[in-house]
Amino acid sequence: MSALEAGHVRPAARSGPRFGTGLLVQTGVLLALFALWEASTRLGLAHPFLLPPLSDVLVRLYQDAIGGAVFVDLGLTLYRALTGFLIAAALGIPLGILMARTKFFGWFFEPLISIGFPMPKVAFVPIFILWFDIYDTSKIIMVVFSCFFPIVMATHAGTKNVDKWPLWSARALGTKESRLLWEVILPLASPQILTGLQIALPVGMITTVVTEMLMGGRGVGGAMIQAGRFADSVGVFAGIIEIALLGMLVIRGLELIRARLLIWHPEARH
Amino acid sequence: MSEFGIKVEGVSHSYAGRSGASTVALKETNLEIARNEFHALLGPSGCGKSTLLYLIGGFIPVQKGAIRTPAGVVSAPGPDRGIVFQNFALFPWKTVLENVVYGLRKQGRSKPEAEERARHYIKMVQLAGFENHFPSQLSGGMQQRAAIARTLAVDPDILLMDEPFGALDAQTRRVMQEELRSIWRNSPKTVVFVTHDVHEAVFLADRISIMSARPGRIEHLVETELGMERDDGVIASKRYVELCERIWALVREQAISASRGEH
Ligand SMILES: Nc1ncnc2c1ncn2[C@@H]1O[C@H](COP(=O)(O)OP(=O)(O)O)[C@@H](O)[C@H]1O
Ligand SMILES: [Mg+2]
Repeated sequence: MSALEAGHVRPAARSGPRFGTGLLVQTGVLLALFALWEASTRLGLAHPFLLPPLSDVLVRLYQDAIGGAVFVDLGLTLYRALTGFLIAAALGIPLGILMARTKFFGWFFEPLISIGFPMPKVAFVPIFILWFDIYDTSKIIMVVFSCFFPIVMATHAGTKNVDKWPLWSARALGTKESRLLWEVILPLASPQILTGLQIALPVGMITTVVTEMLMGGRGVGGAMIQAGRFADSVGVFAGIIEIALLGMLVIRGLELIRARLLIWHPEARH
Repeated sequence: MSEFGIKVEGVSHSYAGRSGASTVALKETNLEIARNEFHALLGPSGCGKSTLLYLIGGFIPVQKGAIRTPAGVVSAPGPDRGIVFQNFALFPWKTVLENVVYGLRKQGRSKPEAEERARHYIKMVQLAGFENHFPSQLSGGMQQRAAIARTLAVDPDILLMDEPFGALDAQTRRVMQEELRSIWRNSPKTVVFVTHDVHEAVFLADRISIMSARPGRIEHLVETELGMERDDGVIASKRYVELCERIWALVREQAISASRGEH
């Protein structure tokens, strides 16, 4: 019987080969793009100041890496982005839950959140500079501010519209009302909360770099502005590649965490 | 019938519709089920069978009338009343074993004890080997059996089942019917069993209620009087065949008036 029924079960690791070819294609596209970049500069199609050859940029990245300067800038940017992101999550998730569970919080915060969500947060940089100066605190608060809204929105939506059936099951099995949030509602809402976090993280990375550019100091954004001021176009492009790699790494990390947390979800078996 | 198991007294229920219009699902329903009776509920679809079960379970508030159990007037869900929902309602983030263990832990059992008991019930519903699968990895029939195991494992005084074998193939269904009947005999409890299947109702139940088309009421009450032993001999008996025919005629009558009501 069970041997027969086992046929119904979707194998967990079916996506192996497809994932492999996907990665191959992606790498291929990137390599082709890089080849095009290098070729166009070597053939003189682009002015080397406006678009320096990729090879020069790579050499610069290597030199900076050896010198250690890259890691200080990357580390600072990463520190600001992640700290801001985590603070936003620590504030946004509880507020989203409160808004979904308590009428008063819903009424009070819903209009504020819907105004704040689409607002360009960078517009607040001058105010934050006035309030908090131009150092770490100010930059991190900018990141918190920009990550906060998508996290609140997703948590609110996820905890408000949970499926009633598992809730009813839990009640019938003797779960106290005060435990329902932890034992049922949060696990059910976790895919949506994670989606909110995944939207917020790249927003936080962007905000970090833009804020660093506007406020100056060390960090990838500051280093790029510095390179621009000194007409060092190779340095600017090196910064672009650094920040692209860092962003990719961080976002992929969060994807892995999601896959780990949601192994129960049908999406884990696509 | 001195001791009662469930009393439904003049219960009406209407659902609020979108445009202010409301659907009357139950109207002045009365039903008394004896303690440890196996009671089947038959009726055309949409007549309010699930609604009646949710009311007894305490999941939706009683608007008019009252529902009593030996534990008191029903006002909220409680572990004295176990339910198997039509759509399984498993916890999707828990494995089969964790789903079954959940209610057992709520009863204050230790983890090893809960797991041992859970494994026993998982085996009984023929899901041995699937303890560590998540619901999303199981077929509909397997999810339904996991939900049955979860509810049976906590051994509630009152067992509410909403078309619990609906997703099973004919063979598994028969095995599960016999299992349920023997569980009920070994550990007597009041059962309300909603089904579409007349044969299933007659095979399992002591008494059968046939509900009218919407708004639902109990239209007929039939005692099966087929004795305690339910096996292939019962199915071959003249009484069983006659009962099925008689009840089928009563159900059909309601189904016809339901379809008239819709046109
Ligand atoms: N949540 C709901 N909102 C509005 N109408 C409902 C709801 N649940 C059930 N109904 C209606 O109430 C009637 C009875 O439903 P139900 O109890 O599910 O019947 P059954 O289980 O016998 O098929 C049906 O007409 C159904 O459409
Ligand atoms: Mg129903």
